[in-house]
Amino acid sequence: MDISKAPNPRKLELCRKYFFAGFAFLPFVWAINVCWFFTEAFHKPPFSEQSQIKRYVIYSAVGTLFWLIVLTAWIIIFQTNRTAWGATADYMSFIIPLGSA
Amino acid sequence: MAAVNLQASCSSGLASEDDANVGSQIGEAERLERPPRRQQPRNNYGSSNQDQPDAAILAVPNVVMREPSGPRSSRLPGGGGGGASGELEEEQGLKYGAQHVIKLFVPVSLCMLVVVATINSISFYNSTDVYLLYTPFHEQSPEPSVKFWSALANSLILMSVVVVMTFLLIVLYKKRCYRIIHGWLILSSFMLLFIFTYLYLEELLRAYNIPMDYPTALLIMWNFGVVGMMSIHWQGPLRLQQGYLIFVAALMALVFIKYLPEWTAWAVLAAISIWDLIAVLSPRGPLRILVETAQERNEQIFPALIYSSTVVYALVNTVTPQQSQATASSSPSSSNSTTTTRATQNSLASPEAAAASGLRTGNSHPRQNQRDDGSVLATEGMPLVTFKSNLRGNAEAAGFTQEWSANLSERVARRQIEVQSTQSGNAQRSNEYRTVTAPDQNHPDGQEERGIKLGLGDFIFYSVLVGKASSYGDWTTTIACFVAILIGLCLTLLLLAIWRKALPALPISITFGLIFCFATSAVVKPFMEDLSAKQVFI
Repeated sequence: MDISKAPNPRKLELCRKYFFAGFAFLPFVWAINVCWFFTEAFHKPPFSEQSQIKRYVIYSAVGTLFWLIVLTAWIIIFQTNRTAWGATADYMSFIIPLGSA
Repeated sequence: MAAVNLQASCSSGLASEDDANVGSQIGEAERLERPPRRQQPRNNYGSSNQDQPDAAILAVPNVVMREPSGPRSSRLPGGGGGGASGELEEEQGLKYGAQHVIKLFVPVSLCMLVVVATINSISFYNSTDVYLLYTPFHEQSPEPSVKFWSALANSLILMSVVVVMTFLLIVLYKKRCYRIIHGWLILSSFMLLFIFTYLYLEELLRAYNIPMDYPTALLIMWNFGVVGMMSIHWQGPLRLQQGYLIFVAALMALVFIKYLPEWTAWAVLAAISIWDLIAVLSPRGPLRILVETAQERNEQIFPALIYSSTVVYALVNTVTPQQSQATASSSPSSSNSTTTTRATQNSLASPEAAAASGLRTGNSHPRQNQRDDGSVLATEGMPLVTFKSNLRGNAEAAGFTQEWSANLSERVARRQIEVQSTQSGNAQRSNEYRTVTAPDQNHPDGQEERGIKLGLGDFIFYSVLVGKASSYGDWTTTIACFVAILIGLCLTLLLLAIWRKALPALPISITFGLIFCFATSAVVKPFMEDLSAKQVFI
């Protein structure tokens, strides 16, 4: 959808919905919220709903960053300790690679 | 015209009297504004206001033309300059059509690219060890004649299932069982986005030997699936939506390539092109009925099945009988959502084309303003591009049966919704009294970029062709098929620009693709090999 053509209250509504949707373990939704509404929030001349959209975009960005850090940390921990953890790691593994120790 | 409008209003269930009056006024206005149309090649279901100067239609290949482009120049308001401006229109029409062709090249190529890349890197999709319930003949005998008739039998079975499901869909649509259809669409895209993507991810990781844990995998799948559902069925950035549609089409194509035996796949491709031709062009064809019914009702056709290159602002997708009667009682020119969408959709983006050809938006919006009594339904625009993914069950046959059949009709409908962006739009235009001026609120400049639409089934079958060709391991054949399909697509769009009716997008491309595929592998490939063996460079 092309938000540049949508009326402002609609944009705000959409931004809000995306923001609240992201709380359901959906950092991707937050990331999309940031990318999609970034120009609306920061690069456009001010309009009445802009401050709220700005707020949502910033919060979404914070949320995305948080999830990124958590996910990266977990992945690093898991991948480096996968073999050391033995059976537990196998139980948790979706794909167990072939051939390597 | 008044009589015709009355008939139209009766059929659409609106309050007849007021509408008839409005309709007759509209008819008057129409007559004043436009020279009469000479031909009405299609049955307009009583809506005669199709004399809308859809000069813009020329420019848009998808428009269902109510008349051939020949008498077009006579339609221009200025009769004197009709000839010259008619040519200009044609030229701009074809140029604009060319733009749309390019706009379709990218997604079609992307889809094929994904399929070819997957086939070449993940061997899972190359091997057929489990078969569908619909293809009981597994082509395991080495004799060509046995293979041939088993391929024929398989494709007949599949085609009959497809035909049955298409008719089922048409019946559901005619009986206005929208909830069932939408539920079915949502369910199938849900399954495609979650289950099949899960399987795809698993095979991808396995092929590259990448370890992954369940929590991360589940998080990725959850995010991917939910965002997919949101962007396809609700609202999301256009590029994301298009990306998801392409991906889902590629997934479907991969499943076809995997689960159909060799010769059956080719036979199915050929059979489906023929079916496409019949279903869309013959007067009793189910898809034609579907399209015409949708036009008659001024509705969108299953947005979940179509890839569109621009956003379609659909205000209120469907008009239920209750709705239409309620609004009808409130005001004669009650709003019909989809018309606005069409309005916006159908207008040309280029101002010069608008000036030269009497842009539809330009002509129609003032008219809408005149006619509209002010009951404006300013419902929000909703992206119409959704993808209805095929239901896909598990690889095991048991799961496949229902899902596959549920998918099939979707796929059929998807396939059959050819390039048509403004098809319904034209019909809606004709029912001007039902139009809303809401688009003027949303789009004050009154000009919308006109997008092009292609059914997702077309994506799927193009990719099946190219994927199958590439599964033989030969790049020459693959590229030949790719080029052939694109040429076919260009031709189809050209024909669309000339004929302006709903056209099947499969037959020409698949025919070319099949010819090129077999010709290349039988003639060109040995030739090239021989040349390079003998070190002769041409």
